Order: sequence, then C-alpha cells, then structure tokens
Amino acid sequence: MTASVISAGPIPGTGRAAQGAIELRQVSKHYGDVVAVDELDLTVQPGEFVTLLGPSGSGKTTTMMMVAGFEEHTAGAILIDGKPVDTLPPRDRNLGVVFQNYALFPHMSALENVEFALRMRKVPRAERRQRAEEALDRVGLGKMGGRKPRQLSGGQQQRVALARALVFNPAALLLDEPMAALDKRLREQMQEEIKTLQKGLGISVLFVTHDQDEAMAMSDRIVVMRDGKIVQSGPPEEVYNHPMTDWVASFLGDTNLIPGTIVERNGEEAVVDLGGLGMAKVRDRGASGENYAVSIRPEHLKFRTRATAGNGCAATLVSSTNLGATVRHRLTAGGHDLQLRELSSDSAARIRPDEELWVGWDADKAQLLVLES
Amino acid sequence: MKTTNPQHRMLALLSIPAFLFLVIPTAIVVPVALNDSRYITFPPEGISFAAVAGFFADRAWTSALTASLQSAAIAVVIGVLLGATAAIGLHGRKFPGQPAVVGLILAPMIVPTVVLALAFYQFFISIGMVGSIVPIGLAHAVIATPYVYLTTRASLAGLNPALVRSAQSLGAGPLSVLRHVYLPIILPGLISGALFAFSVSIDETVMSLFMQSPGATTLPVKMFTDIQFNLTPKIAVSSALLVSVATIGLLLQVLFVLKRRSSTRMLPLAVSAQT
Repeated sequence: MTASVISAGPIPGTGRAAQGAIELRQVSKHYGDVVAVDELDLTVQPGEFVTLLGPSGSGKTTTMMMVAGFEEHTAGAILIDGKPVDTLPPRDRNLGVVFQNYALFPHMSALENVEFALRMRKVPRAERRQRAEEALDRVGLGKMGGRKPRQLSGGQQQRVALARALVFNPAALLLDEPMAALDKRLREQMQEEIKTLQKGLGISVLFVTHDQDEAMAMSDRIVVMRDGKIVQSGPPEEVYNHPMTDWVASFLGDTNLIPGTIVERNGEEAVVDLGGLGMAKVRDRGASGENYAVSIRPEHLKFRTRATAGNGCAATLVSSTNLGATVRHRLTAGGHDLQLRELSSDSAARIRPDEELWVGWDADKAQLLVLES
Repeated sequence: MKTTNPQHRMLALLSIPAFLFLVIPTAIVVPVALNDSRYITFPPEGISFAAVAGFFADRAWTSALTASLQSAAIAVVIGVLLGATAAIGLHGRKFPGQPAVVGLILAPMIVPTVVLALAFYQFFISIGMVGSIVPIGLAHAVIATPYVYLTTRASLAGLNPALVRSAQSLGAGPLSVLRHVYLPIILPGLISGALFAFSVSIDETVMSLFMQSPGATTLPVKMFTDIQFNLTPKIAVSSALLVSVATIGLLLQVLFVLKRRSSTRMLPLAVSAQT
C-alpha cells in the first residue's frame, strides 16, 4: 500500500540532477497598511527541502508566491542561484510550481499537461513527447497519459502536477499545500513519494503547509512563520524538541506549558521556579524575553515513584482517554493542568484512581522558552 | 415524458399556452411566405415557392440581404474582439473606477436605440462617412459588444485563477496563456456571444434606418419601407428567412453545448468504474 511508485533518478532526457539555491534578503510585502511579509531572510540550499510552516495569514503562501513571481515584493531582493530575479516574470524564473488544487489544464490530457512546459520552450515534438512520457512513468502514470484530468483521482492528478512541474528541469520546486485535498492515507503515501523523488533528483524544494505532521515528516528544515515573520527555523526535531516560544511549542504538537521564574542560568541548563511544582532543572537554548515558561511534551512526562531523583511533583489523575496506540491522562499538579501521554501497552492497569501519583521528567526533555501570549 | 405528478400537469397547463403565445406570431410568417398569392394573406391559400423565388430574383431584396450579412459580419468580428478582450482584461481585477468601466461597456444595452441612432447619424455625417454599410456595421458592433462581454464574463466565472499562474510558471507568455488557458474556457461563451451579436445586428432597424443609403439598406429597413408602399409576400419571405437564421443559430448552439457536455461528462462515468 505504501510502496513507492515514484522512482528516483536523474531527470529524463538530461542525465543531470537539477539544483537550485533560493535566497530571500529582507523581503517584505505590504498591502496598503497591512504587512503580509515582514523583512524576511530565508535561504534554501541546493537540494534542501525547506518547509514554510504557519497558520493561515502567517505570510507563508505570499512568500512562496513572491518567489514564483506571482506577487511582487515591496522591498528586499530574491535570488535564484545567486542571480536576482526581482524583475523576471514567472515564466522566466524556471521554477516548477505545484498548486493546492493542482491546476491541471482541464482540456488537455495528462500527457499534454506534462508536455506543456516543453512546448512553451519550443522543444521538438518527438523529443517533448518522449520526455513527457518518461516523466509520467517516473510518477507511476505511464499508462494514464491519454486521460483528461477529470478522469484521474486526486492522487493521480497530484502526480501529473508533479511530473508537469519537473519535466523541464526547473531550478527548484515550489509546492503550495499540495496534499491539502487528499485523504489522510493518500496524503501520507504522497509525502513519502515526494520525499523519495526529491532526494533522488537532488532538487531544492520550498514547501508550504499549515500541517505540522507533514512538515515534520518531509522537511530538512522547518521555518515556522507567524504574522509575516520567521519565529523559529531549524531541523524538524530541533524545532519540535526545543521550541523557543510558547507559540511555537503549541503550534507544533501538544505541550504542557508551565510558567516560571528563572533562578539560575548557566549555559545549557537553567533552574526555574515553577511555583506549585517546585524547582526544576531544564534545558536552556538561550531564549530571552520578559516572561518565561517551561515546555514539557506530554510524551516526556512520566509516572514515577516518589523515590526517583530529579524533576517531579505530586499529581492527581482527572481522566484517562484511550486513543488506540496511546493513552492520554489529564492530571492536576500544583494548580496546573497537565497532560501525560504514554503507550497503551505501558499503561494497562497500572493506575488506580485513589493512588497517590508522582510525575516526573528528564531535565533535557523540558525546555525553557519565552512566554509570548 | 409522462406527467404523472399533478404539479407537473399544472405546470404544463400554464406553460404551454404561454409558450404558444410567444412562438405562434413568429412561426406564422413561414406559411405566409409559402403562400400561393400575390398579397400577404392568412390563412394561406395554397403552398408555393413562388414568393421565395421572387425574393431571390429581386436585386433590391438580395442586396438588402447582402447588406444585412455584411453589417452582421462587421458587428460579430468587432463585437467579439472588444467584448472578449474586455471580459478577460477585467476578470478578477479590482481597481477604482472599475464599475464605471463595466457600466460603459454595458451602456449600449440600456441607452434607447433611437438616441444612439441619432448620435451615430450625426457623428458619421460629421466625419463624412456615409453611403456605405461600414458605419451601420460599426454602430451594430457597439450594441453587440455588451452581449459578447456578458457571455464571456459568465464563462470566465468557472476559471480557476491558478490555471493562469501554472501556465505562466511553465513558461507561457501572455499570448500562450490566452490561447491555452482562456480560449478553451471562454469558447462556449464566445460562440453564444457571437450568435447574439449576429442576431442583434440582423434584427436592428432603427439605427440602420437612420443611416440607410441606396447602397446600404439592410433587410429590416427594406421590409419597413416596403410594408408602407409595396405589400408583397417577399416581406413575409424575408421574415421567414430571419426566423430560420435565428433558429439555425440557436440549434447550432444547443448542438455545441450537447456535444461538449457528452465529451466532458460521459467519460468520467465510464472511468469511475475502473478506479
């Protein structure tokens, strides 16, 4: 079911892998008084898969549209492979774009759709047919070339759109929430296939999504955006495990946020007074602001025996919900509501309602961050 | 078509008389044109194609028919060019004064024709452009343009804006975008707009009357002048001709729509079984 039908390898007809660096320098977009994108600095290295992640209105799609050339930036510079493209129309930027609803030409067959870019580039008929067929083969649709887009399923349309965006060896690929219209299972399959394809071709990808799971699964680097600004950027694990603000922590998955005051900071570690939860040793990545909190992911909170050394506190169980693979426990401790998540297999019959509980966490799994909201 | 539902029967009871009321006066000219008589009479006394033959043998009538077709050709070509480009140009754009621009394009539909006729008459006299079919064709183009604009705009409503962007990102310039993205989508609207433009011009009498000259007398003008002095079945023949042209135009349009529908809607049904 999840076997990949997209095969990796050099781009058909060229024998070379496309690479492309995208660089944004202090790029802004103003609509009248509204600032959609605010002095953004962003670099996509050749072959890198970078995801712009943020809620709607964060400026992520506007940023991509400016790179593609559909929106004009009001300030700053955009460079592709070191060359400024600010004045180039979209057709001269040599970027493959996959749109949210694929935007396949409805009156053309799948093959004609894929051929289109080559036709625009005046590639001879026989050659462009061959290259288009190879591109369709690559996405596992070699036999579907004659079909019109409406005769294809959502996943197949998605693959045609990918083949169409790749067939002309673009400098980079821009993907605008390309999986939004697919169901969960197909979405996960396509995520793997796109990732495999991207790695095989060594092509740079700028990917836009509001889906944090998708960003985690596919990216080399996640750029979290909010209100037109980058709030944090880094490899998926780093952004997830070490959020710099409470907003990033909550946007990427569930977390327990406990406000506290810093007692001591020494490089990698800090000691924080968590009020009712006592003193805690936590990881410190140098976040600085006015108010602080500690973020502990629900899966990093553990039931402990009181004897265990380290961070911990007494807690009372409020409710337990079995979610299939995991169990979610709601607790109160020291005046805070906490969430603890553990594997169902670890959980069975261990907790009795009247039992006095003790929860704890490892110092390196608790993160000091800035409380913004 | 069985009408078992009492509501359907009720609907038929009301709509059939209304339909006949609308259609009969139009349809009546056909038997009158085929009447075996030297005058316009009804009911017809016998069937004959004498009047039809007489119509096509009469230079005055055939040149009126030619003049009408020429003015319609001018109106269709200019109306389609102006109406379609206006619709595409204004599609999805918002700018100050846009409602005024749209109002200007649609104005010829609302301004009384006689006012336009007077204005065109004075204008073409003042620039010395009289005595040919061209000014009539140009005037017809003005009143035909809003129809093409409206039908094209309606078909553009179904255009996914991302299609334009994806064509651009794939290397298409403005002309390629027009040809590969806009044209296939606006084609039905363009065709019905062209048919509207044609029938508006063929039917137009007031402006043609104002600007008529010996070399530029359109069919409706010829009918109008003859009906006062020279009441012959040839008038009925020309009416029948106009009705047939309109009917053929309508049928062509229906055929086009049906063909398009069958090529776009039938296949997915056949395919959905496989996927």
